[in-house]
Amino acid sequence: MFNILVYGAVTSAVYAMLAVGFTLIFGVARILNLSHGAFYGLGAYAAYVLTAKLHWPLLPAAVFSVLFVAAFGALVERFLVRPLRASALAVLMITLAVALLFEQGMFILFGSEARNVPAFSTATWTYSGLDISGQRLLTLAAGFVVLGVLYIFIQRTRLGSAILAISQDPEGAQYMGIPANRMYSLVMALSAGIAATAGVLTAPFLTVQPTMDLLPMVKAFAIVIVGGLGSIPGSILAALLLGYSETIVAYTISPAWTEIVSLIAVLLTLILRPAGLLGTRAAF
Amino acid sequence: MRWAGKDALGAAGVLALLALIPAVTHSDYLIGILTVSLIFGIWAASWDFMSGLTGRENFGHALFIGAGAYTAALLNSKLDLSPWWCLPAGALTAVGFSLIIGFPTLRLRGPYFALAMLAAATIMQRLMRIFWEFTGGEEGIPGLDPLFESHVGTYYFCLFALTVTTAVLLALARSSWGTILRAIRGDEAACQAAGINVTFYKIAALMISAAFAGAGGVLYAHYQEAVTPDVFAVALSITIIIMVYVGGMGSIYGPVAGGIILALLPELLRGLGEYRLWVYSVILMLILFFAPGGLVAPLWRRLTAVAR
Repeated sequence: MFNILVYGAVTSAVYAMLAVGFTLIFGVARILNLSHGAFYGLGAYAAYVLTAKLHWPLLPAAVFSVLFVAAFGALVERFLVRPLRASALAVLMITLAVALLFEQGMFILFGSEARNVPAFSTATWTYSGLDISGQRLLTLAAGFVVLGVLYIFIQRTRLGSAILAISQDPEGAQYMGIPANRMYSLVMALSAGIAATAGVLTAPFLTVQPTMDLLPMVKAFAIVIVGGLGSIPGSILAALLLGYSETIVAYTISPAWTEIVSLIAVLLTLILRPAGLLGTRAAF
Repeated sequence: MRWAGKDALGAAGVLALLALIPAVTHSDYLIGILTVSLIFGIWAASWDFMSGLTGRENFGHALFIGAGAYTAALLNSKLDLSPWWCLPAGALTAVGFSLIIGFPTLRLRGPYFALAMLAAATIMQRLMRIFWEFTGGEEGIPGLDPLFESHVGTYYFCLFALTVTTAVLLALARSSWGTILRAIRGDEAACQAAGINVTFYKIAALMISAAFAGAGGVLYAHYQEAVTPDVFAVALSITIIIMVYVGGMGSIYGPVAGGIILALLPELLRGLGEYRLWVYSVILMLILFFAPGGLVAPLWRRLTAVAR
């Protein structure tokens, strides 16, 4: 029981960090960002390069990686997505191209073998017969902090209000003098930064490989669909739901079946409640 | 038949050219890559029929390809079924998958269909690795029977299959059916208001698309004489979408040409084989920015307009 509780919470925290950014950029800018997984992977690879190749200490390396990916996200928005915003399909394709270039780029630069990123904490906690690595607990804590800060940022600051305003009515917000394009870049940077944070934190206990971007992105989709496209509380709720159901399935049935959970969840959601758990917009 | 003239002539010319290739070369290698490029033509055309016409982009076409390929592989290796029976069986399985994904997602507006297809294909690829007792895991299922003993035989059969696929899909696309599908791309709400059962047409189009893709998957499995989980790979789905983009979306014949050309391109530029996806993604970016209508179909339209 206890291990399901802890591991489920860690998985949920990672999923929430991935899904929140994905749903944020969709809710605000209507960008369905297929390079979201690439941001996550880029964070992990940046941390790998800085620590293993350039021998930086871990903390500055992690912070720099996150900032680097955030800047990369803003650049992608500015130079690749913005000129094509008129067509939703073109935006999908260009973000897909970015994801593809990430995978191929990492493959050419670092090969296909898994890379190691050092952990912040190598301590292991033993509690009622269960070993929990410090890194996992740190990831869980970081998830709480990131989501909390994001919540305060959006609800309590002027910039956050501007982002909310654009997500509710882009034209109206522009008439009020909110620079929509700059907000899109900012939100993209924010979403990329959160994904990279998840990448840096999970890198020590998950594999760092060129193809690592795909599955987290698929999970992010699934969570966002279950929670309701564009709804941040929805995606946090769905992240908990999926994180825990996967962990329960892994412990009670077999780890092999975990991958199907998200697919079934997506299909069931779309059949029963297409707008998602907390989605406000009717999907059809 | 408005298109009978120059288009038929062009098609006959390309077909004759492709049919003559085995007479000119005896290189098994060249025939092999040509066979694969013809199969890519089938996949690109079948993607275009659903997604190009209705504008509902499918990011997991590999789901149907993999469904067809693994059905053929399992039937052929475990039950010793002849490859010729695998062909309809693979197509049927793909249609089954299209119903599972299409039914919940295609009645909705928004990106649900695209995301669900991508997710389904990725998860199927994982499942093929996880349930290795049945699917052979990473190595897949080797030792399938080829369709024909000779490579040239397979090549001609694939050429035949591509011709049939293109002809059927083109005829459908240029019938009133195709008009309805294109109208759905233009304005779904207006179609609904006009009394058209939009969901039915979208799901039917997806089923047809899946059937051809699945059959293509069977051809691919028997040509390779093996399947691996890579037939479900997102990279394959994306490659097909890029081929359609290069060919010109919604024209069917453009994507066929795009498929053949792009599948041959990295092989012809020797040494690029390894950087195939890299080349493709750069091509995709260039097309998106500089030729959003694609290359082949607009070029052909301009050519025939000049020749008039």
